Amino acid sequence: MTHTGWSDFSFDGIGTRWEISTPEELPDGVRLSLLGVVEDYDRSYSRFRNDSLVAALAREPGTVTLPASAGELEQLFRKLYRLSNGAMTPLVGGSLERLGYGADYALRPLGDPVPAPRWEDVLVWRGTAISASAPVVLDIGAAGKGQLVDLLAAVLRGAGITEFLVDASGDMLHSAAEPLGVALEHPYDPSQAIGVVELHNGALCASAANRRAWGDGLHHVLDGATGRPIETVVATWTMAATAMEADALATALFMVDPTVLEGEFDFSWLKVYSDGHAAYSAGFEGTLFS
Amino acid sequence: MTTPLRKSLLVGAAGLSLASSVAACAPSAQGSTPQKTSTVSGPYKDGTYSADGDYFSPNGGETVGVQLTLAGDTISAVDITVHANNPNTKEFQGQFKNGIAAQVVGKKLDEINVSKVAGSSLTSEGFNKAVETIKSEAK
Repeated sequence: MTHTGWSDFSFDGIGTRWEISTPEELPDGVRLSLLGVVEDYDRSYSRFRNDSLVAALAREPGTVTLPASAGELEQLFRKLYRLSNGAMTPLVGGSLERLGYGADYALRPLGDPVPAPRWEDVLVWRGTAISASAPVVLDIGAAGKGQLVDLLAAVLRGAGITEFLVDASGDMLHSAAEPLGVALEHPYDPSQAIGVVELHNGALCASAANRRAWGDGLHHVLDGATGRPIETVVATWTMAATAMEADALATALFMVDPTVLEGEFDFSWLKVYSDGHAAYSAGFEGTLFS
Repeated sequence: MTTPLRKSLLVGAAGLSLASSVAACAPSAQGSTPQKTSTVSGPYKDGTYSADGDYFSPNGGETVGVQLTLAGDTISAVDITVHANNPNTKEFQGQFKNGIAAQVVGKKLDEINVSKVAGSSLTSEGFNKAVETIKSEAK
């Protein structure tokens, strides 16, 4: 239950649990539309299924045509690739597979970390057209879940539904007259929170180095320039107008100075470091327990 | 994952089905909040089960304890405890509790009046494994 009296529509998609909350129960037609958008997204971008568009690029060099939403994804990744000096890259998939986070979920490293190939060396991405000059493992996970949150919100708005919460297991977009209190999960104890934030007509996303950890020091947030996991930041939260930006920036905070990101994005942020201290921008002021 | 699960199954009685989707919901299964989701195949025996799951954080190996109460094919309670068996985590958790300036402080979720949680569960991996163990042994 999000706001009192709201109805929830829950389902599994792109490897996570979704809950869409609305004042009225969603009509069947809207539910089908939502599930269709999720399936399309998965079939386009999943590196965990053989029939996806990105799986084709992993098999051999070539060009694939992505869905229309790929344009803004490209712009976002391009900007963050530049700001992070190559550390945040959609080409990090190969580095993840190397460390064991591949389609077979072996979760065993195949060897020493490998850097992601450089975008300018292997990839030409212009909106919906993406070409690789060598087999590449694209992983748009850093912004993909957030973008899908936005796409589902667009389905709701298209159906005339203006009040909702789209929650992809902690990455969420809120639209309602009343703000929503959301707990910030303690990075080391899921039964605790370290604060509560008021979310109102915007997106809140989180990223943690240890969400999908599978080996000694191996987790899914990698520095694409070295192929190694990043160790100093344990969790980040962001608020922005869109879930796609909030999601991507939550990852970017692991490798880029927040002030650099603030120069190019309108967002709020909170970082918790492995020594337990936190740093945050104005939007998160007063949210942490003391 | 290199360390096998330590198994410590406690009780057993009759009839239940425990879902992998339950594991997926772990981050929102707050403390001992009743967890109603339950889909997959059973039957499993009623009772309270506990298992430890090992996982690896950037600090190294950790262990999480998961206790599930199963009744009538549903999970009626979930309880998660983090065993701070890694010295780095002990130190880290200590720092959390000391409340030094610029240190984050944790509060139990059930003491906070919110319906949503944003974060990333450190324990999902260990939790999933522990649930798998329980599923196989509660049959």
